[in-house]
Amino acid sequence: MVDSTMPVDPAAAVGKNARAGDALVARLIAGAVILCGWEIVVRLSAPAFVAKPSTIAMAIPRVLVDPAFLASAAATLAGVVEGLAIALVVGTIIGLAIGRSRLVDVTLRLYVNIFYALPMLVVVPLFALWFGYTGAARLVTVVFASVFSIIVNVADGARAVPQEYVEVARSFRAAPLRSLFDVVLPASTPYLLAGLRLAAGRALIGAVVAEFITAVSGIGYFILYNSRTYHESEAFVGVLVLAGFGVGFDSLVGWCTRRFLPWYRRDRGA
Amino acid sequence: MRESSGSAAAYHLGRHLPFALSLAGGLALWELVGRESSPAFLVPFSTTMERLWELLVGGTLVAETLDSAGLFATGFLLSVVVGIAAGLVLARVQVLRVALEPYIMILYATPMVALIPFILSLMGFGFIPKVLVVFLFGVFPVLYNTVEGARSIKPEMLEVARSFRSGERALWRDVMLPYTLPFAMTGIRLAIGRCLVGMVAAEFFLSSNGLGQLIMSASQNFDTGGLFAAITVICLIGVGLMRLGFALESRFAHWRK
Repeated sequence: MVDSTMPVDPAAAVGKNARAGDALVARLIAGAVILCGWEIVVRLSAPAFVAKPSTIAMAIPRVLVDPAFLASAAATLAGVVEGLAIALVVGTIIGLAIGRSRLVDVTLRLYVNIFYALPMLVVVPLFALWFGYTGAARLVTVVFASVFSIIVNVADGARAVPQEYVEVARSFRAAPLRSLFDVVLPASTPYLLAGLRLAAGRALIGAVVAEFITAVSGIGYFILYNSRTYHESEAFVGVLVLAGFGVGFDSLVGWCTRRFLPWYRRDRGA
Repeated sequence: MRESSGSAAAYHLGRHLPFALSLAGGLALWELVGRESSPAFLVPFSTTMERLWELLVGGTLVAETLDSAGLFATGFLLSVVVGIAAGLVLARVQVLRVALEPYIMILYATPMVALIPFILSLMGFGFIPKVLVVFLFGVFPVLYNTVEGARSIKPEMLEVARSFRSGERALWRDVMLPYTLPFAMTGIRLAIGRCLVGMVAAEFFLSSNGLGQLIMSASQNFDTGGLFAAITVICLIGVGLMRLGFALESRFAHWRK
């Protein structure tokens, strides 16, 4: 984080630019050291099939144009996005209900906490049993993995809405449902986005585990299959793409926060 | 909120009764739906408890739970020790922090399960690769939060300590650690949950034993009762560990101003 106490004068700005340049150099050097270390260790001590940067780099162009891989990546991405969309809608509605209604809170809180604490992959064998070894099992796993962090965060957000907002809405005779969606929901959006950020990470893990267990085609299965057939470098490209999805979701949510909720970060920084 | 005339017993009843009712309602629903559906898909609560009792009396459950607990504890402690130590070093040595930050963020965002096939082919079936999996799941939240905590130390604090001629050791003991620990606790709480996921993942996909194996073999043998029994046990462990994590975090939270 940038320290906000810094005085804004030209000299300081120049210093800042120089520091940003230094940081980039330091990062590039660190990256080079990590890659070289990895390459050397694997070359000296591991069998030829073990993934190392040089072979991974050579595998990247090959894998990225492979239609089978693209289909797998699309399948996983579609499953994750679809599951997250379902979890977002369901989780927001349940979260708002828990946050604003004492009765719903008391009825559901226990179950939300239990399922939130449950390591989600223990239920994947059960989902495989219920939904078969199909994409449906992956979708349900993604929803299950992500919905509870959205519920918990939205409920926290709905509870934290300043009482005055709700009272003003009521004095203007807003219907309860309107005040829920027009006042409480926007006010708890920062919490919603924080929950979504957590949910995206959990959804990706859920999708990969579901593919490992059910052998549904996707990046997870692509990684499993290739590493079992001694194509580790190809498999590692799959990991890189997954990491890209993870970082991508993260920056998308961060961008949304900055774009649509600029007041949120400013408030927090003050 | 509440009338102060109510006795403590009534207060506790009022506080816990709704949750007890909700639990009873949920279990009743499970029982009813379970009785109506095919035993291959869903068994009622009573059957799950019977199966749980069988596993408990037979000794399988205790043995597998201990097995899992050993794996969890080793990997978790390792991730806490390494995470805090590396976090403090990164916090103190700015060059390292700046240089490594993006790589740590990338690793934090990578779904660690995807690395399991590589760990398997490199290290095979054994205790060490499983510990590595649990460690990898847990270490990044600890590392990340420790660094964040150490960054929250005001530079003035360090300067004041310096002006009073604090040595490097006193600086760590009196400024760095007390300021960082509450943040590290948040990372530790997150790590508890993630290590539990790592533990089950390691037992699913590396050498099978422990509670993960119980779940896998139950699902492969269409022993739905056993499956639900094992999931129930992991559920209880998860809730217990999560409470422990929150208790730990709030124990240190008052240090954070």
